Amino acid sequence: MDETTSYPPIEPSNFDLIVVGTGLPEAILAAAASAAGKSVLHLDPNPSYGSHYASLPLQEFTSYIESQSSQSSSNLPIPQSDMDSSITRVPLTTRPLYSCVEITSRSSEPLEQSRKFNIDLSGPRVLLCADAMIDLILKSEVNQYMEFKSIDGSFMGDGEGNLENVPDSRSAIFKDRKLSFTEKNQLMRFFKLVQGHLEAAAAADGGESSQSKSISEQDLESPFVEFLSKTGLSPKLKSIVLYAIAMADYDQENGDAYRSVLKTKDGIDRLALYHSSVGRFPNAPGAMIYPIYGQGELPQAFCRRAAVKGCIYVLRMPVNSLLMDKASGSYKGVCLASEQELFSQKLILAPSFVVQSPPPHSSPDARDFGLRNTTEKLARSICISKHSLKLDVANCLAFFPPRSLFPEQVTAIHVLQLSSNVAVCPSGMFLTYLSAICEDDVQGKKLLHAAINVLFHVPVSGSSGNNNSAEDQSETGDAKPALLWSVLYTQELAKFQDVLDNIICTPMPDGSPYYHDLLGATEKIFQELYSGEEFFPKSTSSEEVGAGQELED
Amino acid sequence: MATSGNKNMNAKLVLLGDVGAGKSSLVLRFVKGQFIEFQESTIGAAFFSQTVAVNDATVKFEIWDTAGQERYHSLAPMYYRGAAAAIIVYDITNQASFDRAKKWVQELQAQGNPNMVMALAGNKADLIDARKVAAEVIPLGTKLKYSSSNQDMSKIVVQDRKPEAQTYAEENGLFFMETSAKTALNVNDVFSEIAKRLPRLQPAQNPSGMVLMDRPAQTPATASCCS
Repeated sequence: MDETTSYPPIEPSNFDLIVVGTGLPEAILAAAASAAGKSVLHLDPNPSYGSHYASLPLQEFTSYIESQSSQSSSNLPIPQSDMDSSITRVPLTTRPLYSCVEITSRSSEPLEQSRKFNIDLSGPRVLLCADAMIDLILKSEVNQYMEFKSIDGSFMGDGEGNLENVPDSRSAIFKDRKLSFTEKNQLMRFFKLVQGHLEAAAAADGGESSQSKSISEQDLESPFVEFLSKTGLSPKLKSIVLYAIAMADYDQENGDAYRSVLKTKDGIDRLALYHSSVGRFPNAPGAMIYPIYGQGELPQAFCRRAAVKGCIYVLRMPVNSLLMDKASGSYKGVCLASEQELFSQKLILAPSFVVQSPPPHSSPDARDFGLRNTTEKLARSICISKHSLKLDVANCLAFFPPRSLFPEQVTAIHVLQLSSNVAVCPSGMFLTYLSAICEDDVQGKKLLHAAINVLFHVPVSGSSGNNNSAEDQSETGDAKPALLWSVLYTQELAKFQDVLDNIICTPMPDGSPYYHDLLGATEKIFQELYSGEEFFPKSTSSEEVGAGQELED
Repeated sequence: MATSGNKNMNAKLVLLGDVGAGKSSLVLRFVKGQFIEFQESTIGAAFFSQTVAVNDATVKFEIWDTAGQERYHSLAPMYYRGAAAAIIVYDITNQASFDRAKKWVQELQAQGNPNMVMALAGNKADLIDARKVAAEVIPLGTKLKYSSSNQDMSKIVVQDRKPEAQTYAEENGLFFMETSAKTALNVNDVFSEIAKRLPRLQPAQNPSGMVLMDRPAQTPATASCCS
């Protein structure tokens, strides 16, 4: 409702930390630093919270993604400050994170209800109930700002687009109707084996011996897929464990040797996390939950938490340049679009920002915070339909394991369908997110198109023949939902810049359907910035204890 | 959002208004019966709850404060989501704060739930001599006691300016009261009036889910409603 120009100047002009961008890692860091007593200023050039982790109405989503996919050419000469000649201004520009945006609109209906959508920029992503992210949500008390809904189920897709239930727990195995008796026994025995190993490991940690048998060290270091073969799981069960439960991205059997092969110990860790997620919250029978109104609620909640702890928020405020010490090249502060100069000890930048001509004295031991620095990209897609992929299922996760759609499919494709009961689309519509790791745009598009083509009825443009297929579904029960609107795009995964003196870039939205790695990378940044400070100390009093809250200042 | 179970309902209430209008002071007076003359800008708490009895029912208000995010117009959509009621606060001694209040109303109308109960509170009503925003044409409610000289002055004000606040509130579907967090004038009344006006059986506007709670032993998660 207001233009940047009407903002009063920001006060004070000195901070411990300035954060630019309100994506989830930036929001968590702002909240963590504020909780640690640092003075923090949090800026975003956009009018809304969330940066690359936002959930946006359909119209805003398309304009955001288009604006972030073209090079913004701001080669305006930066006026140097004549106030202080010891400081030089270094331009701060943005690089496009998205490419090859392909929007297909087959019906005007979704756009007519644009505001009823909350579309995630970094979907598909859900919260595993036992994930460290949930622990952080509780510990930092942002849980009081949010509500969640359970994901109803998890499915494995095949080349025809059939979705079969993933038997992810003992009770699910028991209830499964597609598994043979032998398979049920195999899987049950495997889960027991893992359970026994975990109990033995826990007992060993506590200095006790256990009846349970642990898995040998040699097996733990071997590829998970070999271990699964050794335990006698059928190919179908191996696929389920590898791709639907342990979330391996790459083909574990036919892949190139240098590709990431999941080790048994990591596979078992992921399995353990998944299993402890099932039933952690009584109202969420499955392993996963999703925030009502979309993932974009998370950065908003952490920003609110930061604000409560004193962090100052200014949206719609671009940073034009960084202030660097001429002699040492070290970071001093920022210059805003409003021409105001602000100073801080440290600076955190969202991954889309690029410091032009980094100063000569950049830290020689530049570190990468946990994310693989490769040429991998991530193909993402969002599809809107009027029918569910699976009858009577509102919100679900699905996977296409490598080679399930075509022989050269080297990576797994993740799928998340959401309904209006999580307030992300108008009632009667469904949002489906897809993602796959790929080498380039062409491969990414091929992967996602293959999945879309088996999941949806994709009307061929120009043909007026089969327009009623969406309506047919209710009668036949197995027709595929017609695709009303879709977008495909490729997102960069690699970090562009490493750490400069007192300037840190946050991680890109990764290809995982969970928050685990992202949070790990974010916590590392906090420790790098403020070693010795606790990452969200447990506060002594909860905010919501009813009447009688203290206003502290 | 307002959710009811039997005769008890929960209602999210948000506060809006310019920095310094007295949002936190109003809440502090309502929740704790306190007033601090030189209240710092809001830091440290942003969430209060207080229960009000109306007739045969109770309304538990979950009051969200802006946490200072309104200073540079950076409130998140999360703030407005599911709010059953809002109090838009301005300072009667500051015309600009009243003009801004109108903008907050517009923003609420754009963001919020159409059934939202909205109250316009002209705060700092104790500072009669410094009044800049006229309340209404007819003498104010019995609870507002002006000294005779002040009454004269307020009449002059009324003739000079359009009677702003009351008319504006009526035209925009808000109810209006002048309040003073300092003297407690009308503070409880604003909240009671909101409680009375909340639709009793409001159909769930938005889907509601579960609230995560960190009490693994008995109630690891509780369903928050919904009837």
